[in-house]
Amino acid sequence: MNYESCDNRRGEVLGRLLPALIPAALLTLLLAALAIEPLPWRLSWTWIPSLGVDLSLYVDGLSAQFLLLIVGIGTMVFVYGSAYLAENSRRNRVFGLLVLFMAAMIGAVVSDHLLVLFVFWELTSLLSFLLIGIDHEQEEGRRSALQALLVTGSGGLCLLAGIILLGQIGGSYSLQTLIERAPLFLEDVRLNAALALIFVGAFSKSAQFPFHFWLPNAMAAPTPVSAYLHSATMVKLGIYLLARLDAAFSELLFWEYSLVSIGTVTAVLAAIQTVRERDLKRILAWSTVATLGTLTMLVGLPGNGAALAVAALFFAHALYKAPLFFVAGNLDHGTGTRAIDKLTGMRRYMPWTAAIALLAALSMAGLPLTFGFIAKGAIALAKEQAEALLLVSYAAVLVNGVSVAVAAIAAIHVFWGRDRSPLQAGLHPHEAPLAMLLPPLLLVILGLLFGLAPTMIDPLLGAAAHAMAPGFDQTMVTLSYDFLAVLEAMAGALVLGGVILLGWRRLGLLMDRFRHLEIVGPEAWYWRSLVLLPRLAARQTRLLQHGQLPRYVMTLVSVATLLVLALLLVARPGWAWPELHSLTAPVAGAALLIAAGALVAMFVRDRLVLLLVSGLVGYGSAVLFLFTGAPDLAFTQFAVETVFVVVVAAVLLRLRRTPLALGAVPTAARLRPLALAVATAFGASLTALVLLVAGLPFDNSLAVFFSEQSVPAAHGRNVVNLILVDFRAVDTLGEIAVLFFALLAVLPLFKRFGGGA
Amino acid sequence: MIWAIALALGIVIAAGTYLALSRDLLRCLIGLVLLGNGINLLLFTSGRLSSSLPPVIGADEMVLGVAANPLPQALVLTAIVISFALLCFSLVLALRIIQLAGSDDLTRLRAAEPTSQDAVKPALEEES
Repeated sequence: MNYESCDNRRGEVLGRLLPALIPAALLTLLLAALAIEPLPWRLSWTWIPSLGVDLSLYVDGLSAQFLLLIVGIGTMVFVYGSAYLAENSRRNRVFGLLVLFMAAMIGAVVSDHLLVLFVFWELTSLLSFLLIGIDHEQEEGRRSALQALLVTGSGGLCLLAGIILLGQIGGSYSLQTLIERAPLFLEDVRLNAALALIFVGAFSKSAQFPFHFWLPNAMAAPTPVSAYLHSATMVKLGIYLLARLDAAFSELLFWEYSLVSIGTVTAVLAAIQTVRERDLKRILAWSTVATLGTLTMLVGLPGNGAALAVAALFFAHALYKAPLFFVAGNLDHGTGTRAIDKLTGMRRYMPWTAAIALLAALSMAGLPLTFGFIAKGAIALAKEQAEALLLVSYAAVLVNGVSVAVAAIAAIHVFWGRDRSPLQAGLHPHEAPLAMLLPPLLLVILGLLFGLAPTMIDPLLGAAAHAMAPGFDQTMVTLSYDFLAVLEAMAGALVLGGVILLGWRRLGLLMDRFRHLEIVGPEAWYWRSLVLLPRLAARQTRLLQHGQLPRYVMTLVSVATLLVLALLLVARPGWAWPELHSLTAPVAGAALLIAAGALVAMFVRDRLVLLLVSGLVGYGSAVLFLFTGAPDLAFTQFAVETVFVVVVAAVLLRLRRTPLALGAVPTAARLRPLALAVATAFGASLTALVLLVAGLPFDNSLAVFFSEQSVPAAHGRNVVNLILVDFRAVDTLGEIAVLFFALLAVLPLFKRFGGGA
Repeated sequence: MIWAIALALGIVIAAGTYLALSRDLLRCLIGLVLLGNGINLLLFTSGRLSSSLPPVIGADEMVLGVAANPLPQALVLTAIVISFALLCFSLVLALRIIQLAGSDDLTRLRAAEPTSQDAVKPALEEES
């Protein structure tokens, strides 16, 4: 019995580990491929030929480094998650989304076509949204997920615009082609705009100022998700794109200044914000933002050393920050809290986690013999080579100091701090299961290994640096670590870190005094715009869709008048007013009849009189047609006008019987100056149009065609009739149908009226 | 001749527009009638007033001699009939609306786009 339950439990644990097989298999495959096939790998096949989109894959050192991080950290996250999420009811969904996310990340870093890369990029944003909001019953989770989506999504739109512009400038969407051709279009004036748009996309994705605020809020996600998406992989995608383009644009001053300044500002702001936090996970999140800022700054720095520094920091950060997130997860799992005020002296309850935290923290602080130290060395050398500004160096000391303090908080304060009997605080700390210890342990051991023997990782770092800076000599990697310079810089950072650690609580309180400054910060603007945008949309809708028919008509007529007037102004010089031909008496009479009818109709009050007066216009037109060679028109107009008056009279009679609750409009006949002005302008502009058109040369070819074809083709002599019933017979048939349906609607009017009488 | 017609059609169109801008549904419709008449005249004159003879081919001829342009006449003929159908239908529609809503004031006929104090989502007015 006992044996069986034990067996069951073991089966359960193994079953939960199944999803981890996917990244593990991919990792094995990748390592094997790296060992067999030299970089870079190319693969290409036509996808959408009409749009010029090829599905071309390109894997060089930089992509390979990212691939290793994605599947390597992915394997660790899946193993860790199998235990961390064991009791979580949404476990399956998390793993499903994580697999999709991994696929999207792999797609993003291997695709050579920028638009394909963009699709995968957006997919990661979407999956990040779903994973942050996985606990969708919590309002905070929903808000954070939406914030991440809106910030990275709108950045993604800018990125798309930037990509399209870059593609227009460079004549290709292939990253490799663009990098090759870059020297040809570096002078293009549109390039800065394209790069600025790409910056917005990359900065929003990689949580750079002013888009940095979404990342700490994204900590609402489960810890494995935070470690994977929001520290190791997705947030580095923006840096990845910048690093990719670095080979093409590193010589541009705009490139260097933007990246160095934004990166530095982000790192400093994040370092300052770190001190305010009391939640271990949020502390780690802010320090991740600081590292991302440093990475951006390094990408911007010119020189080969900077490329190596980026590659080294990518790796080092993944190897120490992911374990620290796992440590935070273990603490959460073992005690139910992540507040650093409650967590002290945990080494007695969680010795293995304590060891992991210590090793990871050593690397984070950049102490010698760790991989963090190697990265710090590369960074120091890069700054020296690039002759970075002093201000940037001061900023780096502050950022390093804070990261030392964060490392100390995570390792020393939490695990070795004075024990204030956590049991009294209601915590029942216990060590995490094996599946939650092995992954971080493996990562910190790897970090130590690469720190002790950096030559092991050199080929990969060299290949990655070569992808960013084609001039990078891959045999020089080992020589690039300058130990003394780092030790000097470290001394300052260690002292500063110690001070910050001791004064953490006081500094936090001090910082909280400046809390009111937040109302001018980017996050405050984010919330403000969430309120203001719908309000603005509503205002605009109210303005345009006011529901008042007369005002709609007014807008339409005004715009039409302006268009006609603009046309007249543009074309006027080539035109001439027609001469005053002799006027025949019947036409003059008809014109008078028309004008008089129209003028009186404007101001008549009684509806019946209005109807009769408006009829004058129709009859006047008929007379006019009769004397200008259009008898067919005249007869039709007479007939139609007569029938119409009958119909209107019927309607008016019915209306007279309808009691109106709100009455007829009393002011209907009153003079409306604005309407009169608009109407006059419209009429006058059309009169001018007719007069000017009459002076233009006339293309008679259609009339000639009908005149020549009428007898031989249509066998008739009345050309107007032939056009209607022969040349355009089907049209006329449709017209008859329209008339028929309209009369169907009118028919009841007379029927019931007749029946009633 | 063209001056007289151009002035007349300008006045008709102005009058039609003025009436169409009215709040009174029926005046609005009469305005549409006038506008239709004015536009027909515009169409007709844009084909030039070359002759006052109707475009009919003589009994012993094969092509049209000196006569008015037949093409605008055909177009205007179609327009007259179609606008007649349109306006008859609109009149019946207007009658029905006035009977249902109990008002012929266009500013009050706004079931589709109701007024509301709510800035975000306008509430529908109560059915009367």
